[in-house]
Amino acid sequence: MIGGGRAGLMILPSLALAFWIIGYPIYDVIMAAVHEVNRFGKLRDFVGIGNFQTLAADPIFWGSLWRTVIWTVGVVGGTLLLSLPIALILNDDFYGRGLMRVIIMLPWAVSLTMTAIVWKWSLHGQYGMVNETLQDLGILDRPVEWLATADIAFPVEILVGILVSIPFTTTVFLGGLASLPGEIYEAARIDGANAWQRFTKLTMPLLKSFFNIALVLNVIHVFNSFPIIWVMTKGDPANGTDILVTYLYKLAFQYGRIGDAAAMSLIMFAILLTFTIVYARMQMKQSAGARP
Amino acid sequence: MSKARKSVLYWLILSPLLLVILFPYTVMLSTALKDRTEIFVFDPTWWPRELKWSNFVDMWHAVGFGQALVNSLIISGLSVALVLLVAIPAGYATARFQFKGQGAYRQFLLITQMLSPIVLIIGIFRMMATLGFVDQPVALILAYGAFNMAFATWMLQSFFETIPKELEESAWIDGATWFQSLRMIFLPMALPALAVTAILTFVNTWNEFVLALSLLRSQDSYTLTLKIYSLVGAAYRINWEHVMAATLLATVPVAIVFAWMQRYMVKGLSLGGVK
Repeated sequence: MIGGGRAGLMILPSLALAFWIIGYPIYDVIMAAVHEVNRFGKLRDFVGIGNFQTLAADPIFWGSLWRTVIWTVGVVGGTLLLSLPIALILNDDFYGRGLMRVIIMLPWAVSLTMTAIVWKWSLHGQYGMVNETLQDLGILDRPVEWLATADIAFPVEILVGILVSIPFTTTVFLGGLASLPGEIYEAARIDGANAWQRFTKLTMPLLKSFFNIALVLNVIHVFNSFPIIWVMTKGDPANGTDILVTYLYKLAFQYGRIGDAAAMSLIMFAILLTFTIVYARMQMKQSAGARP
Repeated sequence: MSKARKSVLYWLILSPLLLVILFPYTVMLSTALKDRTEIFVFDPTWWPRELKWSNFVDMWHAVGFGQALVNSLIISGLSVALVLLVAIPAGYATARFQFKGQGAYRQFLLITQMLSPIVLIIGIFRMMATLGFVDQPVALILAYGAFNMAFATWMLQSFFETIPKELEESAWIDGATWFQSLRMIFLPMALPALAVTAILTFVNTWNEFVLALSLLRSQDSYTLTLKIYSLVGAAYRINWEHVMAATLLATVPVAIVFAWMQRYMVKGLSLGGVK
């Protein structure tokens, strides 16, 4: 066994890069959050929690925070709900399984930006194929302007979010199903357990840790997800589809409220850190408990 | 239930979802091959009256596709090089050595992975501006390097752990130095792992949006993803046949590579990161 010195040397480049490109910006954001910052990014007077107070008095911030909750719960909840039966089906043996797997994984292979661009065009009020198809099927009797009002646009964006999150989540579940030991199913069958009992008493409890992992990773990922909403509606009309990430971008790069944006970054950082800690705890508990 | 009946049932249950998944790709293909006069009509059709392959050529010149393609290739290529440069030694160290603070180092990697660029975008932008890197490829290369490093390290570590240590040890007995054994024995065996990690990092950086949107300012320096977005984001009259042709051209090669690599990534996820 070669000692710690060489290992330290080998992890040094990664530490240096992360402290420079991720660590320094954290410091900079903290500084900007507690100072008055002018449009050009120059730090002025120390204001303490002044920027946070400005945010707290900003109704769009609260609206964005609330929509972030709906967005995250909606996308992650819908994804988990759909992905479990999909994984159970894909784990079974049937004709055309390979083809179905390729189709279901397809959205994973395309960048979110491109997916959102194509959906934006498909949902076009006058020339889009969504309206055309739904009218041909007799579901709609006149075209709908899908992205023109927040009431319709935001749920549509949540649906697109679900669609692109299914592949990863299904993959995690498939990994979980593959790791289930076959013998206990055999034993349960011999003892007279029917398919439903085997599912609720064996599959569900054994999948629980995979479910938790899919939940936490999806929450973190969806919370941070920017391209779908930005491409389809830019958080508009009238900030009606803004979530925290899109409002943060507007504050920083369009409204020139850099101090407020920095304060918002820290709030989001705190939310994310909480999830990270939950995730790390879960991972530790799992490796402490499950290993023989 | 027989296998045939089960198959019919499964396909029926999932058919709505499959249709919704395939819908946008059909739209993409259909629009990319239509003549402009056929796009902005009421009651649009799926099948183009004539297949207008020249859309791709027109689009290439009209939007400056070539320049954006070169930018993306340079930025993604150099980002991959940077990621490998820091992740190979880090992955080797965590796979082969036991060192003080290894647990802390793992936590550190986890945190860098949880922080998305958007949360730090102000700090990153201000730092790059101070360094004079805004609108330069180097800004994106550094940022992509830092944000993709943790995942690459996990992937490499889990692959490296499967390479038997005895091979290196027997080389030492034969008088090879540690560095020689690394270069002559370990790295050649790790080549498939390096390729997989490189390609996945490449796809990630190729598709990245927020950092490119924030750090690139002029059309000439846009990556492909940003260029195609700019066709939709700014213009008041959008040439959708060009946008869809460009989207198709930018998406399909990456999608094929990704689909092929996916099983390796799942393996890496289950061995290293998620476990």
